[in-house]
Amino acid sequence: MEIKKLLFVTKFEELGFDAIRSMLNLRKAALEHVVFVNVIERDRIAMRRGTGYQKEEEVRLRETANIRFIDWAETLFEQGMEVGVYIVVGSMVSEVIKAAQKEEAGLIVIGRSHKGVLEQLYSGSDVTELLRRAAIPVLVYKHLSETAIAMEKPFKRPLLATDWSPASLKAINYLTPLKNVIKEVNLVHVASEKDLKGSSAMEIQKTRKNTRKKLEEICNRFEAEGIEAKAHVYIGDPIEEIEKAARDCQASMIVLGSSGKSAWIERWLGSIPKEIAEESVYPTLLISLGKNE
Amino acid sequence: MSKRVLVVDDDPDVRLFSVTVLEENGYTPLEADNGETGLKMIKEKKPDLVILDVLMPRQSGVRLYRELKTSKSLKDVKVIILSGIAKKTFLRSQKALTEFGGAEVPEPEIYLEKPVEPEELAEAINKMLA
Repeated sequence: MEIKKLLFVTKFEELGFDAIRSMLNLRKAALEHVVFVNVIERDRIAMRRGTGYQKEEEVRLRETANIRFIDWAETLFEQGMEVGVYIVVGSMVSEVIKAAQKEEAGLIVIGRSHKGVLEQLYSGSDVTELLRRAAIPVLVYKHLSETAIAMEKPFKRPLLATDWSPASLKAINYLTPLKNVIKEVNLVHVASEKDLKGSSAMEIQKTRKNTRKKLEEICNRFEAEGIEAKAHVYIGDPIEEIEKAARDCQASMIVLGSSGKSAWIERWLGSIPKEIAEESVYPTLLISLGKNE
Repeated sequence: MSKRVLVVDDDPDVRLFSVTVLEENGYTPLEADNGETGLKMIKEKKPDLVILDVLMPRQSGVRLYRELKTSKSLKDVKVIILSGIAKKTFLRSQKALTEFGGAEVPEPEIYLEKPVEPEELAEAINKMLA
Protein backbone atom coordinates (compact mmCIF):
# COMPACT_ATOMS: atom_id res chain seq x y z
CA MET A 1 0.00 0.00 0.00
CA GLU A 2 1.45 3.33 -1.05
CA ILE A 3 1.15 6.50 1.03
CA LYS A 4 -0.07 8.92 -1.63
CA LYS A 5 -2.17 10.98 0.70
CA LEU A 6 -1.78 11.65 4.40
CA LEU A 7 -4.19 13.17 6.84
CA PHE A 8 -2.48 15.51 9.29
CA VAL A 9 -4.64 15.95 12.36
CA THR A 10 -3.70 18.81 14.64
CA LYS A 11 -5.00 20.92 17.49
CA PHE A 12 -1.90 23.11 16.93
CA GLU A 13 -0.72 22.74 20.55
CA GLU A 14 0.90 19.39 19.86
CA LEU A 15 1.73 19.29 16.16
CA GLY A 16 3.06 22.11 14.05
CA PHE A 17 4.38 22.57 10.55
CA ASP A 18 7.78 21.17 11.49
CA ALA A 19 6.06 17.79 11.93
CA ILE A 20 4.71 18.02 8.38
CA ARG A 21 8.12 19.02 7.07
CA SER A 22 9.59 15.92 8.66
CA MET A 23 7.11 13.77 6.74
CA LEU A 24 7.90 15.29 3.36
CA ASN A 25 10.63 12.82 2.51
CA LEU A 26 7.72 10.42 1.91
CA ARG A 27 7.48 12.25 -1.40
CA LYS A 28 10.41 10.08 -2.50
CA ALA A 29 8.02 7.16 -2.15
CA ALA A 30 4.59 8.26 -3.34
CA LEU A 31 3.30 11.11 -1.17
CA GLU A 32 1.67 13.86 -3.19
CA HIS A 33 -1.26 15.10 -1.14
CA VAL A 34 -1.49 16.40 2.44
CA VAL A 35 -4.88 17.02 4.04
CA PHE A 36 -4.98 19.15 7.18
CA VAL A 37 -7.67 18.38 9.73
CA ASN A 38 -8.64 20.48 12.72
CA VAL A 39 -11.57 19.33 14.82
CA ILE A 40 -13.19 21.89 17.09
CA GLU A 41 -14.51 19.79 19.95
CA ARG A 42 -18.20 20.38 20.47
CA ASP A 43 -17.84 21.10 24.17
CA ARG A 44 -15.62 24.12 23.45
CA ILE A 45 -18.53 25.91 21.84
CA ALA A 46 -21.48 24.14 23.45
CA MET A 47 -24.49 25.85 25.04
CA ARG A 48 -23.67 27.46 28.38
CA ARG A 49 -26.11 28.87 30.88
CA GLY A 50 -26.45 32.58 30.28
CA THR A 51 -24.46 32.66 27.04
CA GLY A 52 -26.09 29.96 24.90
CA TYR A 53 -24.33 28.46 21.87
CA GLN A 54 -21.00 30.21 21.42
CA LYS A 55 -21.13 31.05 17.73
CA GLU A 56 -18.52 33.78 18.05
CA GLU A 57 -16.09 31.36 19.65
CA GLU A 58 -16.68 28.88 16.83
CA VAL A 59 -15.94 31.57 14.23
CA ARG A 60 -12.80 32.59 16.12
CA LEU A 61 -11.53 29.00 16.35
CA ARG A 62 -12.34 28.29 12.70
CA GLU A 63 -10.58 31.39 11.47
CA THR A 64 -7.54 30.82 13.68
CA ALA A 65 -7.21 27.31 12.23
CA ASN A 66 -7.84 28.58 8.72
CA ILE A 67 -5.11 31.22 8.94
CA ARG A 68 -2.57 28.64 10.10
CA PHE A 69 -3.56 26.13 7.45
CA ILE A 70 -3.39 28.74 4.69
CA ASP A 71 0.16 29.54 5.72
CA TRP A 72 1.16 25.86 5.78
CA ALA A 73 -0.69 25.10 2.56
CA GLU A 74 1.09 27.91 0.72
CA THR A 75 4.46 26.32 1.47
CA LEU A 76 3.29 22.92 0.24
CA PHE A 77 1.49 24.25 -2.85
CA GLU A 78 4.66 26.07 -3.88
CA GLN A 79 6.49 22.73 -3.80
CA GLY A 80 3.96 21.32 -6.26
CA MET A 81 2.08 19.33 -3.63
CA GLU A 82 -1.67 18.93 -3.46
CA VAL A 83 -3.23 20.21 -0.24
CA GLY A 84 -6.67 19.93 1.31
CA VAL A 85 -8.27 21.07 4.52
CA TYR A 86 -11.06 20.17 6.94
CA ILE A 87 -12.01 22.47 9.82
CA VAL A 88 -15.01 20.88 11.44
CA VAL A 89 -17.01 20.96 14.64
CA GLY A 90 -17.73 17.59 16.19
CA SER A 91 -16.21 14.64 17.97
CA MET A 92 -12.50 14.29 17.26
CA VAL A 93 -12.34 10.62 16.36
CA SER A 94 -15.55 10.48 14.30
CA GLU A 95 -14.57 13.51 12.25
CA VAL A 96 -11.06 12.19 11.60
CA ILE A 97 -12.44 8.82 10.49
CA LYS A 98 -14.97 10.55 8.23
CA ALA A 99 -12.27 12.72 6.64
CA ALA A 100 -9.94 9.73 6.20
CA GLN A 101 -12.71 7.81 4.42
CA LYS A 102 -13.70 10.74 2.20
CA GLU A 103 -10.11 11.38 1.25
CA GLU A 104 -9.10 7.71 0.96
CA ALA A 105 -5.93 8.58 2.87
CA GLY A 106 -3.06 6.10 3.28
CA LEU A 107 -1.87 7.36 6.66
CA ILE A 108 -3.21 9.41 9.57
CA VAL A 109 -0.68 11.50 11.50
CA ILE A 110 -1.79 12.65 14.94
CA GLY A 111 -0.14 14.00 18.10
CA ARG A 112 -0.35 12.15 21.38
CA SER A 113 -3.46 12.57 23.48
CA HIS A 114 -3.57 15.34 26.06
CA LYS A 115 -6.44 13.95 28.13
CA GLY A 116 -5.83 13.34 31.83
CA VAL A 117 -5.45 9.85 33.33
CA LEU A 118 -8.95 9.72 34.78
CA GLU A 119 -10.53 11.09 31.64
CA GLN A 120 -8.66 8.49 29.58
CA LEU A 121 -9.76 5.70 31.90
CA TYR A 122 -13.43 6.53 31.53
CA SER A 123 -13.72 7.92 28.02
CA GLY A 124 -10.54 6.47 26.50
CA SER A 125 -7.94 8.62 24.79
CA ASP A 126 -8.54 10.04 21.33
CA VAL A 127 -5.53 8.16 20.08
CA THR A 128 -6.68 4.83 21.50
CA GLU A 129 -10.14 5.33 20.10
CA LEU A 130 -8.76 6.34 16.73
CA LEU A 131 -6.46 3.34 16.60
CA ARG A 132 -9.36 1.07 17.39
CA ARG A 133 -11.62 2.51 14.72
CA ALA A 134 -9.26 3.50 11.91
CA ALA A 135 -8.83 1.00 9.13
CA ILE A 136 -5.64 2.70 7.95
CA PRO A 137 -2.25 3.08 9.67
CA VAL A 138 -1.92 5.79 12.30
CA LEU A 139 1.35 7.53 13.14
CA VAL A 140 1.34 8.98 16.64
CA TYR A 141 3.86 11.74 16.19
CA LYS A 142 6.12 12.82 19.04
CA HIS A 143 7.63 16.23 18.95
CA LEU A 144 11.34 16.92 18.75
CA SER A 145 11.25 19.40 21.62
CA GLU A 146 9.52 16.82 23.84
CA THR A 147 12.21 14.23 23.44
CA ALA A 148 15.38 15.94 22.25
CA ILE A 149 15.90 13.00 19.92
CA ALA A 150 16.71 13.93 16.37
CA MET A 151 13.82 12.64 14.30
CA GLU A 152 13.59 14.91 11.36
CA LYS A 153 12.67 11.95 9.20
CA PRO A 154 10.51 9.46 11.11
CA PHE A 155 10.58 6.90 8.31
CA LYS A 156 14.37 6.91 7.99
CA ARG A 157 15.22 4.24 10.61
CA PRO A 158 12.05 2.50 11.77
CA LEU A 159 12.14 -0.16 14.45
CA LEU A 160 9.58 -2.80 13.54
CA ALA A 161 8.52 -4.76 16.60
CA THR A 162 6.82 -7.98 15.65
CA ASP A 163 4.90 -10.53 17.67
CA TRP A 164 4.14 -12.52 14.48
CA SER A 165 0.53 -11.39 14.60
CA PRO A 166 -1.25 -10.78 11.26
CA ALA A 167 -1.21 -7.03 11.96
CA SER A 168 2.53 -6.95 12.56
CA LEU A 169 3.05 -8.96 9.39
CA LYS A 170 0.89 -6.42 7.54
CA ALA A 171 3.30 -3.75 8.80
CA ILE A 172 6.05 -5.39 6.75
CA ASN A 173 4.01 -4.97 3.57
CA TYR A 174 3.36 -1.35 4.50
CA LEU A 175 7.07 -0.55 4.86
CA THR A 176 8.54 -2.42 1.91
CA PRO A 177 7.35 0.06 -0.78
CA LEU A 178 9.17 2.85 1.07
CA LYS A 179 12.66 1.91 -0.05
CA ASN A 180 13.43 5.45 -1.23
CA VAL A 181 12.63 6.78 2.22
CA ILE A 182 13.89 4.11 4.64
CA LYS A 183 17.62 3.86 5.23
CA GLU A 184 17.49 0.85 7.54
CA VAL A 185 14.84 -1.24 9.27
CA ASN A 186 15.59 -2.82 12.63
CA LEU A 187 13.39 -5.79 13.44
CA VAL A 188 12.82 -6.79 17.01
CA HIS A 189 10.89 -9.53 18.75
CA VAL A 190 10.54 -9.37 22.52
CA ALA A 191 10.29 -12.76 24.19
CA SER A 192 8.81 -12.59 27.66
CA GLU A 193 10.79 -13.88 30.63
CA LYS A 194 7.78 -15.97 31.57
CA ASP A 195 8.24 -18.01 28.40
CA LEU A 196 11.84 -18.79 29.38
CA LYS A 197 11.38 -19.65 33.06
CA GLY A 198 12.30 -23.22 33.96
CA SER A 199 14.02 -23.73 30.62
CA SER A 200 17.62 -24.83 30.41
CA ALA A 201 20.31 -22.59 28.91
CA MET A 202 20.11 -24.75 25.85
CA GLU A 203 16.35 -24.22 25.55
CA ILE A 204 16.73 -20.46 25.97
CA GLN A 205 19.40 -20.34 23.31
CA LYS A 206 17.24 -22.45 21.04
CA THR A 207 14.32 -20.05 21.48
CA ARG A 208 16.59 -17.14 20.63
CA LYS A 209 17.99 -18.95 17.59
CA ASN A 210 14.55 -19.85 16.25
CA THR A 211 13.21 -16.35 16.82
CA ARG A 212 16.22 -14.84 15.14
CA LYS A 213 15.78 -17.17 12.18
CA LYS A 214 12.21 -16.01 11.74
CA LEU A 215 13.34 -12.39 11.97
CA GLU A 216 16.10 -13.02 9.42
CA GLU A 217 13.47 -14.28 6.99
CA ILE A 218 11.68 -10.94 7.30
CA CYS A 219 15.03 -9.14 6.94
CA ASN A 220 15.53 -10.99 3.68
CA ARG A 221 12.19 -9.68 2.42
CA PHE A 222 13.28 -6.12 3.14
CA GLU A 223 16.68 -6.66 1.59
CA ALA A 224 15.07 -8.08 -1.54
CA GLU A 225 13.35 -4.71 -1.85
CA GLY A 226 16.65 -2.86 -1.41
CA ILE A 227 16.14 -1.90 2.26
CA GLU A 228 18.85 -2.75 4.80
CA ALA A 229 17.46 -4.73 7.73
CA LYS A 230 18.81 -6.09 11.02
CA ALA A 231 17.27 -8.62 13.42
CA HIS A 232 17.27 -8.29 17.21
CA VAL A 233 15.86 -10.49 19.97
CA TYR A 234 15.11 -8.87 23.34
CA ILE A 235 13.80 -10.48 26.50
CA GLY A 236 11.57 -8.93 29.12
CA ASP A 237 8.60 -6.61 29.35
CA PRO A 238 7.57 -5.77 25.77
CA ILE A 239 6.86 -2.10 26.43
CA GLU A 240 10.17 -1.46 28.17
CA GLU A 241 12.19 -3.61 25.80
CA ILE A 242 10.78 -2.10 22.63
CA GLU A 243 11.68 1.34 23.97
CA LYS A 244 15.19 0.11 24.80
CA ALA A 245 15.57 -1.47 21.38
CA ALA A 246 14.50 1.80 19.73
CA ARG A 247 17.18 3.63 21.72
CA ASP A 248 19.86 1.00 21.03
CA CYS A 249 19.13 1.07 17.30
CA GLN A 250 18.86 4.88 17.17
CA ALA A 251 15.45 4.36 15.66
CA SER A 252 13.51 7.25 14.19
CA MET A 253 10.17 5.64 15.02
CA ILE A 254 8.55 2.45 16.31
CA VAL A 255 6.25 0.44 14.06
CA LEU A 256 3.76 -2.02 15.52
CA GLY A 257 0.85 -4.10 14.40
CA SER A 258 -2.26 -3.48 16.44
CA SER A 259 -4.95 -6.05 17.11
CA GLY A 260 -8.62 -5.24 17.09
CA LYS A 261 -9.35 -5.68 20.80
CA SER A 262 -12.61 -4.25 22.02
CA ALA A 263 -12.59 -0.79 23.58
CA TRP A 264 -13.53 -2.24 26.96
CA ILE A 265 -10.69 -4.76 27.04
CA GLU A 266 -8.20 -2.12 25.94
CA ARG A 267 -9.35 0.37 28.50
CA TRP A 268 -9.10 -1.99 31.47
CA LEU A 269 -6.42 -4.46 30.49
CA GLY A 270 -4.33 -2.26 28.22
CA SER A 271 -2.75 -2.94 24.89
CA ILE A 272 0.97 -2.92 24.18
CA PRO A 273 0.77 -0.99 20.88
CA LYS A 274 -1.50 1.63 22.36
CA GLU A 275 0.58 2.04 25.50
CA ILE A 276 3.69 2.52 23.39
CA ALA A 277 1.84 4.98 21.16
CA GLU A 278 0.82 7.00 24.22
CA GLU A 279 3.92 6.67 26.37
CA SER A 280 6.98 6.16 24.17
CA VAL A 281 9.20 9.10 23.33
CA TYR A 282 9.37 7.80 19.77
CA PRO A 283 6.86 8.48 17.02
CA THR A 284 4.79 5.33 16.77
CA LEU A 285 3.22 3.98 13.63
CA LEU A 286 0.38 1.59 14.36
CA ILE A 287 -0.97 -0.68 11.68
CA SER A 288 -4.23 -2.45 12.29
CA LEU A 289 -6.10 -5.00 10.29
CA GLY A 290 -9.14 -3.95 8.30
CA LYS A 291 -12.52 -5.50 9.02
CA ASN A 292 -12.10 -8.14 6.33
CA GLU A 293 -8.46 -9.00 7.02
CA MET B 1 -32.07 32.84 -19.67
CA SER B 2 -29.64 34.19 -17.09
CA LYS B 3 -26.02 33.07 -17.15
CA ARG B 4 -25.00 30.29 -14.79
CA VAL B 5 -22.12 30.68 -12.38
CA LEU B 6 -20.68 27.82 -10.36
CA VAL B 7 -19.25 28.64 -6.94
CA VAL B 8 -16.71 26.03 -5.80
CA ASP B 9 -15.82 26.63 -2.16
CA ASP B 10 -15.83 24.44 0.95
CA ASP B 11 -16.81 27.32 3.23
CA PRO B 12 -20.62 27.59 3.36
CA ASP B 13 -20.41 31.25 4.44
CA VAL B 14 -18.34 32.14 1.37
CA ARG B 15 -20.73 30.21 -0.87
CA LEU B 16 -23.66 32.08 0.65
CA PHE B 17 -21.88 35.39 0.11
CA SER B 18 -21.06 34.62 -3.54
CA VAL B 19 -24.53 33.22 -4.24
CA THR B 20 -26.12 36.38 -2.83
CA VAL B 21 -23.89 38.59 -5.00
CA LEU B 22 -24.76 36.47 -8.04
CA GLU B 23 -28.52 36.56 -7.43
CA GLU B 24 -28.50 40.29 -6.82
CA ASN B 25 -26.78 40.73 -10.17
CA GLY B 26 -29.22 38.53 -12.06
CA TYR B 27 -27.15 35.38 -12.46
CA THR B 28 -28.11 31.78 -11.68
CA PRO B 29 -25.80 30.35 -9.01
CA LEU B 30 -24.71 26.73 -8.74
CA GLU B 31 -22.72 25.36 -5.81
CA ALA B 32 -20.06 22.74 -5.11
CA ASP B 33 -18.20 22.23 -1.85
CA ASN B 34 -14.97 20.71 -3.17
CA GLY B 35 -12.87 20.54 -6.31
CA GLU B 36 -13.91 17.04 -7.26
CA THR B 37 -17.64 17.80 -7.16
CA GLY B 38 -16.88 21.11 -8.85
CA LEU B 39 -15.25 19.38 -11.82
CA LYS B 40 -18.16 16.98 -12.13
CA MET B 41 -20.62 19.88 -12.14
CA ILE B 42 -18.59 21.82 -14.69
CA LYS B 43 -18.79 18.82 -17.03
CA GLU B 44 -22.49 18.26 -16.42
CA LYS B 45 -23.90 21.77 -16.08
CA LYS B 46 -21.48 23.67 -18.31
CA PRO B 47 -21.59 26.95 -16.35
CA ASP B 48 -20.65 30.24 -18.02
CA LEU B 49 -18.25 31.10 -15.20
CA VAL B 50 -16.63 29.37 -12.23
CA ILE B 51 -15.72 31.15 -8.99
CA LEU B 52 -13.05 28.89 -7.58
CA ASP B 53 -11.51 28.60 -4.12
CA VAL B 54 -8.03 27.03 -3.80
CA LEU B 55 -7.72 25.23 -0.46
CA MET B 56 -10.50 22.61 -0.35
CA PRO B 57 -11.08 18.94 0.47
CA ARG B 58 -10.81 16.17 -2.14
CA GLN B 59 -9.29 18.34 -4.88
CA SER B 60 -7.76 21.79 -4.57
CA GLY B 61 -8.41 24.73 -6.85
CA VAL B 62 -4.80 24.45 -8.04
CA ARG B 63 -5.47 21.02 -9.55
CA LEU B 64 -8.98 21.79 -10.73
CA TYR B 65 -7.79 24.93 -12.54
CA ARG B 66 -5.02 22.88 -14.14
CA GLU B 67 -7.49 20.20 -15.22
CA LEU B 68 -9.73 22.81 -16.81
CA LYS B 69 -6.99 24.66 -18.62
CA THR B 70 -5.35 21.51 -19.98
CA SER B 71 -8.61 19.95 -21.17
CA LYS B 72 -9.58 20.42 -24.78
CA SER B 73 -13.26 20.64 -24.00
CA LEU B 74 -13.03 22.70 -20.79
CA LYS B 75 -10.14 25.08 -21.39
CA ASP B 76 -12.46 27.94 -22.38
CA VAL B 77 -14.46 27.81 -19.15
CA LYS B 78 -14.04 31.22 -17.54
CA VAL B 79 -12.60 31.20 -14.03
CA ILE B 80 -12.30 33.73 -11.23
CA ILE B 81 -10.10 32.54 -8.36
CA LEU B 82 -11.41 33.67 -4.98
CA SER B 83 -9.13 32.43 -2.24
CA GLY B 84 -7.21 33.12 0.95
CA ILE B 85 -4.17 31.62 -0.77
CA ALA B 86 -1.96 34.35 -2.24
CA LYS B 87 -1.89 34.76 -6.01
CA LYS B 88 1.91 34.47 -5.94
CA THR B 89 1.59 31.03 -4.30
CA PHE B 90 -1.00 29.91 -6.85
CA LEU B 91 1.30 30.90 -9.72
CA ARG B 92 4.32 29.25 -8.08
CA SER B 93 2.36 26.05 -7.53
CA GLN B 94 1.37 25.95 -11.20
CA LYS B 95 4.98 26.58 -12.16
CA ALA B 96 6.13 23.73 -9.89
CA LEU B 97 3.59 21.36 -11.47
CA THR B 98 4.74 22.40 -14.95
CA GLU B 99 8.34 21.71 -13.90
CA PHE B 100 7.30 18.24 -12.72
CA GLY B 101 6.26 17.50 -16.28
CA GLY B 102 2.81 19.04 -16.51
CA ALA B 103 1.63 21.29 -19.32
CA GLU B 104 1.90 25.08 -19.11
CA VAL B 105 -1.33 26.71 -18.00
CA PRO B 106 -2.30 30.37 -18.46
CA GLU B 107 -2.59 32.70 -15.47
CA PRO B 108 -6.13 33.18 -14.18
CA GLU B 109 -7.70 36.28 -15.70
CA ILE B 110 -8.97 37.47 -12.34
CA TYR B 111 -7.53 36.49 -8.97
CA LEU B 112 -9.24 37.88 -5.90
CA GLU B 113 -7.81 37.37 -2.43
CA LYS B 114 -10.35 36.83 0.36
CA PRO B 115 -12.06 38.70 1.83
CA VAL B 116 -13.63 40.74 -0.98
CA GLU B 117 -16.33 43.38 -0.93
CA PRO B 118 -19.57 42.43 -2.73
CA GLU B 119 -19.03 45.26 -5.25
CA GLU B 120 -15.55 43.99 -6.07
CA LEU B 121 -16.83 40.47 -6.72
CA ALA B 122 -19.81 41.73 -8.73
CA GLU B 123 -17.51 43.89 -10.87
CA ALA B 124 -15.23 40.90 -11.55
CA ILE B 125 -18.20 38.68 -12.48
CA ASN B 126 -19.72 41.31 -14.76
CA LYS B 127 -16.37 41.88 -16.44
CA MET B 128 -15.88 38.17 -17.13
CA LEU B 129 -19.41 37.68 -18.45
CA ALA B 130 -19.69 40.91 -20.44
